[in-house]
Amino acid sequence: MNIVFLTLVLVLAITSLSAKNSITSLISFGLMMLLLGIYYITLDEKLLGLFQIFVYTGGIAVLMLFGITLIGTTFKPTKPNPWTVAIAFGFFVALTTLFFVHKDKLHRIHQDVTIQDGLFASTFGDMVILFALIGASLLYGTIKMINVIKPKRRDDV
Amino acid sequence: MFEVDMVFAFALFSIGLYGVSSHKDFLRLFFSLEMLINAVILMLASSAYRLGIVEAIPLAYMVMVIATLEAAVGILIFAAVHKFTQSTIPDEMETEVIV
Repeated sequence: MNIVFLTLVLVLAITSLSAKNSITSLISFGLMMLLLGIYYITLDEKLLGLFQIFVYTGGIAVLMLFGITLIGTTFKPTKPNPWTVAIAFGFFVALTTLFFVHKDKLHRIHQDVTIQDGLFASTFGDMVILFALIGASLLYGTIKMINVIKPKRRDDV
Repeated sequence: MFEVDMVFAFALFSIGLYGVSSHKDFLRLFFSLEMLINAVILMLASSAYRLGIVEAIPLAYMVMVIATLEAAVGILIFAAVHKFTQSTIPDEMETEVIV
């Protein structure tokens, strides 16, 4: 089940980068973030999942929709550098190799850690501040964006 | 399963890296940057759940807040610059500085 979720996330990520229409690209991006949020909820990180869905699928996707209203719905064709695929794949292989080499150390950490009870209750104030920061930044971005998009009133007409 | 999560997070990070290095369009650059950040959040969430490293969760929240701020401010800057240059590619955005 997890593998299906994560495979879908990767497919949507590739679609959002390869689509020629920016609306298709944005919908793929939003769906990818939604799936990641649902995946966090299945990992028992419910607040993080909801945070992800509200912030990315709700806030950032709408901000990007504002951006699309500015630039139009089609991307300009650009020549992709053939080396970038090789570099990205090499980076993936290097990261995976490093992870599997040092995997045992991570499992050693696991044996020493004791899960704290009531972590959310103790950090509730910090969470409220984080929510306020995110909400304020998204609101600020949206209002300023509306100001930028809005045509100026002509007094001379 | 932790290994599977990490491999998928690395794959997402690599796709984001490919997007940042190959695409010049502003929106795709933003999508790619968000993918990079989300790969990191996936790693943190997975390590919190699978390995019991609870310190990773506040860090994930912090990364998410920074990502939101970056997106809000970045798109705003792009919109403001696009209004004057009419370009969607940051390399082509040349503006005159009036002193």
